[in-house]
Amino acid sequence: MPGAASYAILFLGTLLEALVVVSAIKRKVLRKYFVLNLYMVLCLLVSWGRHYTLARDGFGSLNYRYFYFYTDALLTIVLYFSLISLYLSVFEEMKVGRYLRLGAVALLAGTSWFTYAIVSQSSHKILTYFAFELSQNLYFVGLVLTYVLWAAVLKMRQTPALLIQLVLSLGIYFSFFAACYALANLHPTLYSRVSVLFPVVGCLLPLSWAYAFWRVPNEARIAPARLAMAGVSR
Amino acid sequence: MSRRHVVLLLPALILVAAMGLKTAVTSNGNNLIAAAPVMNGPDPAPKPWNGPDPAPKPWNGPDPAPKPW
Repeated sequence: MPGAASYAILFLGTLLEALVVVSAIKRKVLRKYFVLNLYMVLCLLVSWGRHYTLARDGFGSLNYRYFYFYTDALLTIVLYFSLISLYLSVFEEMKVGRYLRLGAVALLAGTSWFTYAIVSQSSHKILTYFAFELSQNLYFVGLVLTYVLWAAVLKMRQTPALLIQLVLSLGIYFSFFAACYALANLHPTLYSRVSVLFPVVGCLLPLSWAYAFWRVPNEARIAPARLAMAGVSR
Repeated sequence: MSRRHVVLLLPALILVAAMGLKTAVTSNGNNLIAAAPVMNGPDPAPKPWNGPDPAPKPWNGPDPAPKPW
């Protein structure tokens, strides 16, 4: 069973997820960043569901495992669409929304097909492993997409500061897990120590989004290229 | 190259890059890392289940049983 620290982090994370939605409502950006807030609401509901299953069936139970991995796949898909919604916001003025949506669906279909092709050859429990693998593959797709989006944002003349904050938060969130995997890959003995940090990082994304919605003004705009140059000159 | 071609080519490139990155990061032959769950939220992640599935319970519903053929 998870200890008191795990429950404290779980409680803190759930609070932060709720705070993101409350901040978005307060700043009247709920409709503008609807998919991001939908992701946070789903995270909140899933957290309650996981907590309920954990308390009822225990940490090692099959119920908790299945509930965790299926809901994780669902959340990763919604996170993927949140990222696509950020793409739509960044490229709003270029009127390429239709192509972006088409590309997003093609990428999701391609990832699903690729996952199925791997899972169908190596496992007898196709559905369970499909959900798990799809979640992991979409996570890496999200990581690449975030960096591509950041590269595109750097080329823009001016971008809303709030949008930049949201994209950078996602970049740090995705990169941290990739760095942890890479570190554990180099030194497998470190994995058990590194994995302790995962729940803490799970709190960082809602924390940074809540901060962005709460503190960053809607109308503030930044020239990201100038921001990057300032970072290099320092 | 038309926009439609770009729409098809870019997702393919991104998918290749992502799967390449995944292979580079998790391909040490260590099952723990390859099976490390993605985290959505701070909930404690269980280890992926690798054993046999539990046998389903026999159906005991109210439907009438068919006669043997």
